[in-house]
Amino acid sequence: MNTVADMFLSSVREFASRTAVVEDSRRITYGELGKMAASLSSFLVSKGVVKGDRVAIFLPNSIEFVVSFFAAALTGAVSVPINSAYKEEEVRFYIRDSAPKIIITEDHLRQIAEKSLPHADTSIAVVRGRGADWDRSRYKAGAPVSADVSADDEAIYLYSTGSTGKPKRVMRTHFNLTALADNHTSTVGWNEKDRILFTIPISHTYAFGNFISGVKKGARIVVMTEFNRNKVLDILEKEAITVFPAVPVMIDVLAKTFLPEPKDLSSLKLVISAGAPLKEETFHRFREKFSICPRQLYGSTETGVISINLGEDIEKRFNSVGRAVSNVVVKVLNGSGNEVPAGEVGEIAVSSPSMTTGYHGLPEETEKVFRNGFYFTGDLGRIDEDGYIYIVGRKKLLINVGGYKVDPTEVENLLLQHNAVREIAVLGVQDESGNERIKAVIVSSEPVDVKEIMDFCRGKIADYKIPHIVEFRSELPRSPTGKVLRERLK
Amino acid sequence: MSENIQLRIKKVLVENLLKDMEVDELENDAPLIEYGVGADSVSRLEFLVALEEEFRLKLDESEITPAFFETVDSIADHLSKRLVVG
Repeated sequence: MNTVADMFLSSVREFASRTAVVEDSRRITYGELGKMAASLSSFLVSKGVVKGDRVAIFLPNSIEFVVSFFAAALTGAVSVPINSAYKEEEVRFYIRDSAPKIIITEDHLRQIAEKSLPHADTSIAVVRGRGADWDRSRYKAGAPVSADVSADDEAIYLYSTGSTGKPKRVMRTHFNLTALADNHTSTVGWNEKDRILFTIPISHTYAFGNFISGVKKGARIVVMTEFNRNKVLDILEKEAITVFPAVPVMIDVLAKTFLPEPKDLSSLKLVISAGAPLKEETFHRFREKFSICPRQLYGSTETGVISINLGEDIEKRFNSVGRAVSNVVVKVLNGSGNEVPAGEVGEIAVSSPSMTTGYHGLPEETEKVFRNGFYFTGDLGRIDEDGYIYIVGRKKLLINVGGYKVDPTEVENLLLQHNAVREIAVLGVQDESGNERIKAVIVSSEPVDVKEIMDFCRGKIADYKIPHIVEFRSELPRSPTGKVLRERLK
Repeated sequence: MSENIQLRIKKVLVENLLKDMEVDELENDAPLIEYGVGADSVSRLEFLVALEEEFRLKLDESEITPAFFETVDSIADHLSKRLVVG
């Protein structure tokens, strides 16, 4: 099975009567999912979508998101998932960059989608909510069929946060995605009895990798449109969830959430933590409250899943991101590109069959980080003698807000559009709890206050990118060459 | 409104989010956004769990609006209604 459509149709056939996706009170089987995807695929074809066209999917976690992704795959189109938290200017970037034939969205996001269109060649299809364009009864299809695609054809565009102000397009082929699903599932041992809860956005690489792996094995995909602590706990219990991919902030607040009555989470066999380091206090608190240890996973948009910590001695090695998954090679290299001895720190480099070949349209950026078949992550780490990987730092200038990577340049560029902002530096600062926060240090040209700055950002960038701390100064500290000395602003 | 509730809220703020401040530095009607409180979803969640722990109350995100985080008084107003209802 070398294409996403092949893998999907195989699951549709093998697990036809098993529940595929659950969203609140709605649930569909794999058989129904197959029919819905075929129906939406027919609709896309009626809108002129052909193999190789891009289909933007601007939806929250939902049955419709899952249907849309596989409908695009059946059509031979390239999916471009866009985080439903994004605002008009952000969405416009993705639309401009990927030039989709069509944007699939929902009624609540229609206005943002419409405003983000740079030209009339891209149409909009609402598939969820009021005024839906896709009428399932009208586009009935027989058994799902798929376009003639090969393993090397483009399957998806994901975007990696950079430090240049704009995200970088990461193309992955059908082979990359099926290899990812193969490698991840053979390492974690999932099957059709597994039930995976997605509150993290499937449009993001972390959830996406777990999602496609789950579908490969016929697992039940349970989706939430957004994170709500009490709803998560209710669903974990009522749906007897076995796998819960999360980020450390979620694990932390769940561990601290007041529970008038205890929850029975005995079905849980794997709680995954990724996106940011897991603090020791959080690990122990969660373990004590729910009798299960969160296990760290490491991955990237460029490669998909790299490693996961499934070790039996998890309590001693909780701070490791585990060992490389099947068929993935991880090395730690020094500045000269040579592998360092076990235990020594260097840059983590990864070679994986699910990795991209580079950033679209950015040959210099690609050359910097893709060398000799390896992707240089920009993360500093070490590997112990048993092959366990530890992340100890980061070379890149990105801010990690609860698992989301934020490019400070993007926020700076936005705020420089404000009349009162003459100069700005945006940086990450750690709070007392060890979480990273976005701090904006501003030299203003006219009176302005914190609320105005935050209000300016609201509606233009996703909420998680809005500065948490705003400080005003008369000047920014700079080096003799004019570079802002960010360390002095912390 | 019980001054006790406001004081307890300020203690939660100072112990969890505003660790450089003292309780008596915080005015009941001072806009908390100036201190970054409620500015992002992460800090909002952390603040809610800390309030839950202090007041032994379930505070669901869905019942919390941005107005909740405006001042110590706005938080106390919401909590005092919940504490009466039980």
